[in-house]
Amino acid sequence: MVSKTIICPSCKTQMTVQGNPGEKILVTCPNCKKKGYFIIPSPKPISDSISIEINNLTKIYKDIKAVDNVSFNVYNGEIFGFLGPNGAGKTTTIKSMLGLIHVNTGTIKINGFDMKKDSIEVKEKIGFIPEKVSFYDNLTPFQTLSFFCELKGVDKSVIPSLIKEVGLEDAMNRKVGTFSKGMVQLLGIAQAMIGNPSIYILDEPTVGLDARWVRFIRQKIKMLNEQGATVVFSSHILSEVETLCNRVAIINNGKLIAEDTVANLNKYLHIKPRIEISIDKLDGKVPKLIEKIDGVYSADAKGNTLFVTCDSQVRSRVIAALGKSGFKVVNIKTIEPSLEDAFVKLIEGDT
Amino acid sequence: MKMFNPRTMYVVAKKEFLDHIRNKWVIVLTFLFALIIVIFSYTVGSGETFGNMQNTVLGLLTITSFLIPIIAIILGFSTISGEAESGALNVVLSYPAKRIEVLLGKLLGLGSVIIVSVFIGFGVGGVVIALTVGPESWAGYITFIFLTIFLGFIYLSLAICISAFCKRRITSIGGGILVFCWGIIYGTIITAIFFATGGTFDDLTTGNLPEWFYNSVVFSPGDLHQTAVQRAFGVNVIDAAGYSFKIPEFLSLSNLLIVHIIWLIVPLVLAYIFFKKRDI
Repeated sequence: MVSKTIICPSCKTQMTVQGNPGEKILVTCPNCKKKGYFIIPSPKPISDSISIEINNLTKIYKDIKAVDNVSFNVYNGEIFGFLGPNGAGKTTTIKSMLGLIHVNTGTIKINGFDMKKDSIEVKEKIGFIPEKVSFYDNLTPFQTLSFFCELKGVDKSVIPSLIKEVGLEDAMNRKVGTFSKGMVQLLGIAQAMIGNPSIYILDEPTVGLDARWVRFIRQKIKMLNEQGATVVFSSHILSEVETLCNRVAIINNGKLIAEDTVANLNKYLHIKPRIEISIDKLDGKVPKLIEKIDGVYSADAKGNTLFVTCDSQVRSRVIAALGKSGFKVVNIKTIEPSLEDAFVKLIEGDT
Repeated sequence: MKMFNPRTMYVVAKKEFLDHIRNKWVIVLTFLFALIIVIFSYTVGSGETFGNMQNTVLGLLTITSFLIPIIAIILGFSTISGEAESGALNVVLSYPAKRIEVLLGKLLGLGSVIIVSVFIGFGVGGVVIALTVGPESWAGYITFIFLTIFLGFIYLSLAICISAFCKRRITSIGGGILVFCWGIIYGTIITAIFFATGGTFDDLTTGNLPEWFYNSVVFSPGDLHQTAVQRAFGVNVIDAAGYSFKIPEFLSLSNLLIVHIIWLIVPLVLAYIFFKKRDI
């Protein structure tokens, strides 16, 4: 499911449309009430070349398998969501990708380089934001970024533009120790952008932040991806992953339980779309004809709204059946299955 | 492949210096250090207590072997465990920097803070001494400054080792306190062992002591430092608090310097082993 902001061609009102790539959506302008169709654009094609290759990764802490034989690939130019409940093994996997954790078995290749043997070459191409971002209290943002520029061998002349890009110009001469959590996170983004890395690894970058910063960070992630970067992004916030990611991997109890696009996950898990139909004078009763249609799994009525769970291809038959039965359809809204549905189904199946 | 890149080490050292030179506790202790030295030097210069550079320096020894370890431990005790816990080390190690470069960079950067602290203290003290006592035994004074810096690096190396070993900042604090207390209680432990092995109070006051008693200074960096400074001034017999001790030949300045180097290197090697194995 993706969100797109569109402008009404008549009154120029801005509105948000949600749907799957390629889906045709009937949109009603909330201001001038004009109706029209909008087709959700398909995402840009993702490269076939592998950016990150994880093979049989296992990490054992004492007797606990934090990561258990995990393998997956991340392709060039995609936003890859790494999803799982707290303690599932997301951070351990991410830290392993950066060589911060010594794995028991498995290999990690980034842009073809082995993380163990060629860690210096690998790290030159990576921008990383950890789950808990922290810098040095007595340094200013400029001094902090200077340090990281020097570590990467990047000219310090990029610092003012990085600071401007994350909106920290006003805090340029303040010590980082006086920053709010959101500001530290922004500095973390600026730090990760040093040297224009081709891969960004972000471990729960929006956790604990207020809505303003969350929105800003999500926009930045999209922007970095549009500029050509591959983004690996861990989260336990399903809507966030669903909005941002091309593909997702789901990890639970250290094991990878799924890796695919959100649409495919829903397809494999047989999670069906739901149609909300506003009907004139329905009065809380489900028309009997609807339940008899092959491909309809459930139907409920609440007031003048009918909720039908069915296969996508029988949607038109449901509408036609309502017309035949003499009901006047006022509005139709399709709710596509969400990542949350897939996630819950997978986690339940795993435990 | 190069073992380490000196440039990365320098970058880490510079950052550590900039961050910690503004540490409020280091500033307070440096100020206190300078103040005590000035007061002490002035007292000496006015001829009320001592009368020359040698006695001035030997008098300052107690202060330096107390304050320098505190400054070093404050600087180093959480440099790895604390940064790993806060997340700062995760970011640093996601950059093209090897752990050995980060470790040595930290030692040099934090060591530079100690050098500045010592130079401020002894610099101000030195001026007062020069004005009051006169320019005698300057070579000894310079050796004293050098050995004090060395003592700072030894304690820094110990503190970094603790920081690399401990998983959490809070346990590093305990480790730091333990290292500091070792320097304080060590003399008492040795004396207790002396009595337990048949030594008498008379032996202690007359200096009739076994060789191991003297040589035991090698296990305490503070005592080691004090003995080395005394040797630097050519002192062979220590008369203090009614006791008289003759420093044995084994504890020559060159031997003591070798032991200093061992005290610096061993904790640092251990720190590297712990840090290299550590999951951040």
